[in-house]
Amino acid sequence: MNKPIFQISPGFEEIMPPEYRELVANGPYGKGFGVSDLGSYKELIEEHPLCAGCGLALSIRLALASLPNPGDTVIVGSTGCSSLVFPQVALHNIHSLFGNQNAVASGLKRALKLRFPDKVKDVVVIAGDGATADIGLDMVMQSWFRRENITTIMLDNEAYANTGGQESGMSRQGAVLNMAPTGKKFPKATLPEVAQAAGCAYVAATSPAHPRMLEKAVRKAVLIAREVGPTYIQLFSPCPTNYKFKPQETIPLIKQREKEGIFRNQEYISDEAQRFLDSLEEARKK
Amino acid sequence: MIEQKVVNPEFLFFTAEKKKLFMTGSEAVREAIRKANVDVAISYPITPQSESMHLVGDLFAEGYVKEYFRGENEFAVMSSVAGAAMAGVRVFTATGGPGTLRAFEVFPTWAGARLPIVCAFMTRGVNSPLTIQPDTIEMAYLLETGILMLHAETAQDLHDMILKAFIVAEKTDVHVPVGVFADGFFVTHTKEALEIPEPDIKLPSYDPNNSPVPPMDMESVPVRQMRDPFVMKSNFISYAAHASWQQEVDAARERSRKYLEKYLGGLLETENEDADVLLVTSGTAVCQSREAMAAARAQGLSVGLVKLKCIRPFPAQEIKALAAKAKAIIVPEFNRVGWLAKEIKSVIDEPGKVIGAPRVYGGMTMPPELILDEIRRVSR
Amino acid sequence: MNEMSYKVLPGPEGFLPPAAASMGIELPEVGEALVEGGVVSAQQGLEKIVEKLISAKNPVFFPGPLILWNWKDGVAEKAAALKELAEAVGAKIIPMPDYRPKYPMINPAIEVNPNHPNLTIWHNKIDVCVFIGVHCHYANVALKIIRGGTSCYTIAFCGEVGHEDAMISLRGAGLSELKKLTELVKKRKGEVKGD
Repeated sequence: MNKPIFQISPGFEEIMPPEYRELVANGPYGKGFGVSDLGSYKELIEEHPLCAGCGLALSIRLALASLPNPGDTVIVGSTGCSSLVFPQVALHNIHSLFGNQNAVASGLKRALKLRFPDKVKDVVVIAGDGATADIGLDMVMQSWFRRENITTIMLDNEAYANTGGQESGMSRQGAVLNMAPTGKKFPKATLPEVAQAAGCAYVAATSPAHPRMLEKAVRKAVLIAREVGPTYIQLFSPCPTNYKFKPQETIPLIKQREKEGIFRNQEYISDEAQRFLDSLEEARKK
Repeated sequence: MIEQKVVNPEFLFFTAEKKKLFMTGSEAVREAIRKANVDVAISYPITPQSESMHLVGDLFAEGYVKEYFRGENEFAVMSSVAGAAMAGVRVFTATGGPGTLRAFEVFPTWAGARLPIVCAFMTRGVNSPLTIQPDTIEMAYLLETGILMLHAETAQDLHDMILKAFIVAEKTDVHVPVGVFADGFFVTHTKEALEIPEPDIKLPSYDPNNSPVPPMDMESVPVRQMRDPFVMKSNFISYAAHASWQQEVDAARERSRKYLEKYLGGLLETENEDADVLLVTSGTAVCQSREAMAAARAQGLSVGLVKLKCIRPFPAQEIKALAAKAKAIIVPEFNRVGWLAKEIKSVIDEPGKVIGAPRVYGGMTMPPELILDEIRRVSR
Repeated sequence: MNEMSYKVLPGPEGFLPPAAASMGIELPEVGEALVEGGVVSAQQGLEKIVEKLISAKNPVFFPGPLILWNWKDGVAEKAAALKELAEAVGAKIIPMPDYRPKYPMINPAIEVNPNHPNLTIWHNKIDVCVFIGVHCHYANVALKIIRGGTSCYTIAFCGEVGHEDAMISLRGAGLSELKKLTELVKKRKGEVKGD
């Protein structure tokens, strides 16, 4: 049975726009769907204005499809390409400012714990690489230091894409971008290692080239964030528009990078987080 | 949590029995928050504000405040406070001077997001070389952020205004942040006798279901909801939506007037308002002006005082009417730029009547003699 | 414009009309309603709404999320009462299911949106509209845009404290007001037929 907020008032079913009727009849809330169910239900994203072949759009779609409890998940985003998608996502979500997403999420999560002590309310940050690794890095790391119960997902397209393709801390060394006219002078920031050192209980780096791996990472990250501590996922989400490759080459480009050893899928689980996952598994078996 | 009786705000403000206590402005903040039924308070140190949020931390330890932590900087704190407010709880924080400027980007978004946050600003200088001393210049920058601005003369004002600020901020038709300003050190660190209600009562809790915007909790409709989406097509309709949104924030500020009048007893108060010379000011410049007025009147000069309690919304009509009768308006200020004199000039019929003096800053005190000199000069 | 003379009337009022609250219009107190910026009794407000609805060529109700979604106790009853009222009036219902700016474009035949309500009003040639169940902030954003660019007569049925930017606004209105309106409409329509 759907929560009341997902029910149309009796008598108003016919006048609702079709996408809402579909969402109510066939949405993912409370169903336990995963990425393998995509195509069989009405997704949370209604429509979006991102470019053809956008790696970010793929990552967001898969990440939303992987949420363990979408009916009680609040997203915090940040300024960037992804903030053009989120108004169209059928979850409560916040755009505050550029870079303050983890600070907003910290206050949000603590307040939701107060208001709903007997319910699980998952708070998931989904923001770009500029927001996460540059302008918001202090607040991202501080939320990890404080062991906030939130999941942080970085959509890494290796540039400031929405402002026209400027160098970010996540761009690769040598990349020629706006504001890096002679190529970037220092290496890509190593956020997964930073996250681990800063206290994240779970860290993963993957991409939409591996939907199942991405799904598992998001599920583990959200579950561990509830009970153990902060979690971090970095999703390599190449940008065809600013890196000037064809839209259909997004996934092949990720696989090419993997082959060359430039991009690695990674996972770190703290001992405590592993024990927690084991206990969930045991409870499930019983 | 500590057991306190929930009382209606009017009872707490006006009817509850009061006890006389001798305390600093920072302690007055603690006593206000003790009775404010605050859910989340977030702190960050900056002189001269730090002590007030230490004391709020003590309240958390005692069980008067439900959640409390130290954030990493003022921009982050103001952002965390926004996140908590969007989740539908009552929040409080405080800052001042450079902290205000560090956080600045967030304030207009508090107003635009219709968040009923209460923030105390313990004002101080923001210039280089670094100063920690009192100065009200940060208020000039905050005038057009959309937040309501109350200015305390005393620790008593600070206590009362903070409590009243929550109730005004949370009215459905207002629902914008309120800044309660107190001059650093002069109010925060000096002791005075306050009359305050017993600590066994508190305000009713905040109900986010009466908010003019939905709380972000996945328990409210609509589910497909971003706080707050940009309407970013390059066309007239998008611009019109943004313009209408901004107008609505201004409208909310206008609607606060009737509540502020009810709870503060007016946006301003006057003494000897029919006098030839009016001293019009806010904050601790009011008590300096009051002394100057007394000295001048003892010498037979016709001098009155207008204490502005509310800077936003600005009591423009009231000031205009008062100014029409006066021969001269003296505006003493604790800042270099004279923002209050500019505000007053912009609303009265004869701006030439306004004397933007004395002005002191950099931490200097304002001896009443300086004000008296201005009074003598215009009374000649 | 002189603030004291400001009236909240159908537009098109201009390029960027002001918020009525900034022009000196104040919200009604309990037991009162606003008609074109002036305070009247709640009963007079109801009667004025009925007059506008039954004389309209194309009245339309714009129900918002607070009434479209059966999210808490009491909503279903209000929703049923709203449908009954719309039927009694002979009005259409066009929903405002959410407040997002809709991309790539809105279909004004099937929905209304607070960021561009004028599109729906123009498309459907709506001369009288009623906002109900819309969060106050979004209602006010939309009502000003409507006044700016259309000649539509706006009515706000508000469960909170009302809307200066509507031509008629009730406050604290709920199920009993909806039922009263339906009764009044039926009675007036009977009278009109009888004439």
